[in-house]
Amino acid sequence: MDDFACPRCRTTKFQNPSLKMMVNVCGHGLCESCVDLLFLKGSGNCPDCKIPLRRNNFRVQLFEDATVEKEVDIRKRVLRDYNKKEEDFATLAEYNNYLEEVETIVYNLTNNIDVVNTNKKIEQYKKENREQIQKNKGRLGRDEYELEELLELEKHINEARKQEILLEETEAKKKRIQRKEALIDELMFSNTDAKNIVNTFAQQAKEEQEEEAKKPPSKVTKFSTGIEFGRKTHTTFLPVPTDDGPLYEYVPIIVDPDGPQPPLDKDITTKGFMSHVRAETEQERAGGFKTTIACMRALQEAMMGLYHTKRSQY
Amino acid sequence: MFPTSSQCKYWMFSSEDELNNLRDATNATHIQLYGRNVSESSKYEVFLTPEEEKIMVKRYELHLRDFCKRFQPPMPRCVIGTAFHYFKRFYIYNSVMNYHPKEIMVTCIYLASKVEEFNVSIQQFVANIKGDREKASDIILNNELLLMEQLNFHLAIHNPYRPVEGLLIDIKTRGSLHDPERLRPGTEQFLERVLLTDAILLYSPSQVALAAVLHAASKLQENLDSYVTEILFGEGGRDKLEILIDAVRAIRSMEKMADAATDKNLIKLLDKKLEKCRNPENNPDSDIYKKKMQAMLDEDDDLYYAISQQNQIRDNSTLNMSVSASPEVP
Repeated sequence: MDDFACPRCRTTKFQNPSLKMMVNVCGHGLCESCVDLLFLKGSGNCPDCKIPLRRNNFRVQLFEDATVEKEVDIRKRVLRDYNKKEEDFATLAEYNNYLEEVETIVYNLTNNIDVVNTNKKIEQYKKENREQIQKNKGRLGRDEYELEELLELEKHINEARKQEILLEETEAKKKRIQRKEALIDELMFSNTDAKNIVNTFAQQAKEEQEEEAKKPPSKVTKFSTGIEFGRKTHTTFLPVPTDDGPLYEYVPIIVDPDGPQPPLDKDITTKGFMSHVRAETEQERAGGFKTTIACMRALQEAMMGLYHTKRSQY
Repeated sequence: MFPTSSQCKYWMFSSEDELNNLRDATNATHIQLYGRNVSESSKYEVFLTPEEEKIMVKRYELHLRDFCKRFQPPMPRCVIGTAFHYFKRFYIYNSVMNYHPKEIMVTCIYLASKVEEFNVSIQQFVANIKGDREKASDIILNNELLLMEQLNFHLAIHNPYRPVEGLLIDIKTRGSLHDPERLRPGTEQFLERVLLTDAILLYSPSQVALAAVLHAASKLQENLDSYVTEILFGEGGRDKLEILIDAVRAIRSMEKMADAATDKNLIKLLDKKLEKCRNPENNPDSDIYKKKMQAMLDEDDDLYYAISQQNQIRDNSTLNMSVSASPEVP
């Protein structure tokens, strides 16, 4: 099917090799120049179905069948709202039902079956799940994360391999030059038959090559995509980093109060100091502020320095 | 923690005599430095005596208190306490004749409000000052660093307000006094007045707080002696009781002397005298001060000029493209 044409101006790929078909939400195609012509003002109606369209919604048609384009469009739009993930459902059956529902909606919209009701349904769903939709928008699914990780890993491996090949090549070059020099040296200074020498060198080179070929390729444990062979369950947990250093030892600070010993932590709660202090509010507690700390501080400051004197020093 | 603070280490003094000696020495060094052409006999006709300096400081302490009380938005007590500490500390080692207390006073309050996390901008701050506000904010900002330097950057101040709360909690919990909240007004009044004395440079904040509470109790004809001797100093503190009794007595007697009013005529006289003998280098109205500021600005410019010259020479030499080397027109 090479001869599809613009439905409006009848230009074909044959007449104009640089013809670019564009498609909008309704799924009806137009060639680029017609789009430029018809949507000069930025918006207008589809020449096929008279639906008002906006120019910046036009995009290059990727699939031959324009209805597929339409479906892709609709699916994108629907999935923007129906963005629940498998984790959001309690059972697999529920998730499957949900997927089924999404598919039905997409099918209906694509084929213009019961459009009004379906749109109503979407609106309804949007209203009911507004919060979750918003939340899920910002959240990449677990699958996306894994995919990203894999891509990253693959990039790394590729780079490493490139480096390796480069290294090998230079190594081989060096070796060849060395061998050549050795051969010339041997021919210049040795007294044996020149033919013999050449032969032995050729033999040696051959042997080396064979050896290299024989070297077993390093055992492959992964697909090129980075997925490991075997039935190992794929876990994405990172190993807990281990810190091998001397363990930190807590040494309590001892301060000479220079006054009577203030009550201890446990006395504050047991000996009734708390009944004379304002209890912390909920907000203060959230900030890590507790009444005992303030009470303790006040008492400490009241006691500390009561024995203070500079007189004895003079 | 007061015992480990810089306040305890560097800014607590043994007695009023020690403080007065330090102030006398400051006065003497200032006169020696700036009064070389004045004869020994007539020096106090020109310069302030240490006693007169003390009167001036005292007078501006009252100013400081009133300013803080009138301040909008209202200022927490700890800011006032901290400002008093800064002001007193500054004039132990600096002469009134060198830096005018009017300027240092506002700078102290400004710095204290920063340190005590009482958030006011400089515009908000100078809105409380009568007169030329732009000039006031210039003075404050110019003096701020000087003040901090003179305080040796010991900016953390332990005020007696929290110890008072601690004592009240303790009295309510362990003491036998009926309704200790009654002590509050008397205590607050005492603390306000005690700031005007040297007691805060001689005694620890907890001692001052205890003196305030005891003072308030005695005004209400209550007796807290048993609380102090039995509970506070009950275990292992008996031999220290004497220190405390002395301290409390001294603080209370100092507080009594807090507002010995000075003669208005004398104040006017001193103002005039100070205006004559103050160091013109630090007087923002004097020509010398203005010249000095201008010189500092010029110096910056000069420095910039010198650096840019140097850069140009270097550029020319490295690029070998100085003006004279450009193709000459025959």
